[in-house]
Amino acid sequence: MSSRRSRQSSSGARISDDQIIQLISKLQQLLPGTRIQRSNKASASKVLQETCTYVRSLHREVDDLSDRLSQLLSTIDADSPEASIIRSLIM
Amino acid sequence: MHTSSKLTKEFTKKWLKGLQICCSSKKDMDVLERKKKIKLCADIALASAKNATTSWSIALISEAKKNDENEILVDNLLGPESRFKQQNIIRQMNSCHKRVRSKKILKKSCSISQRMKKMGPPKSNLAAYIAKRLVKKRTQVLQRLVPGGESMDEFSLIKEALDYILSLRVQVDVMRNLANATEVLNQSNSSNVFD
Repeated sequence: MSSRRSRQSSSGARISDDQIIQLISKLQQLLPGTRIQRSNKASASKVLQETCTYVRSLHREVDDLSDRLSQLLSTIDADSPEASIIRSLIM
Repeated sequence: MHTSSKLTKEFTKKWLKGLQICCSSKKDMDVLERKKKIKLCADIALASAKNATTSWSIALISEAKKNDENEILVDNLLGPESRFKQQNIIRQMNSCHKRVRSKKILKKSCSISQRMKKMGPPKSNLAAYIAKRLVKKRTQVLQRLVPGGESMDEFSLIKEALDYILSLRVQVDVMRNLANATEVLNQSNSSNVFD
């Protein structure tokens, strides 16, 4: 049995539990919310769930911003001075 | 964090370049079509700003390349010196699939033998068992959200998710700044008209 177990772990890279815990805590720091409360009560499944929620909300924000930009740009003529101002400001 | 400001600059440059390519070609695009193009440019620009350093960016670009309409845009944004060469992408995706498939076969054979030994989950391990199932479920959901996540093991998935979140934040910030700036200019222009 021990040989089978060692075979299983050597088929991929040897990843320690500590490394996974470190990654999850890093992930937790990225998530929005009260940082002080979260530092101690981190369970992997909760962090993963909030990560999924956060990624979904970021996707939604990108979508909304694209919508907003599309509507704004449709009211600007491409050759107007405003469009060139925007381009020169940012570039 | 100087890496995120570098990413911001790269993304902004590439996104604006992409916008000029798509949005200037047809002036009579309807709002929905323009929105899709803006979003597509933003995603491709974000992935190409990473210059093939992460799996999710490679997966995003290869997904975009599948559609022939996007070819000109992608080639222009990637540039001649990018590391998103076709061979590297295909090789990396193939190696990931093989690794995952062999791991799955190994896991199946191990779990079948384990199941035959244990008649049911012992009460002392029930909490751990449930926790493991939850983590597995949530990992699967995350795999679907991160581009290219299906062919990643848990460790790389979390690493990629970290980087993906940071990059998405950059994308949202730049897009929001442009939208706000455009709105301000629009308002000032319309107020000038009525003076």
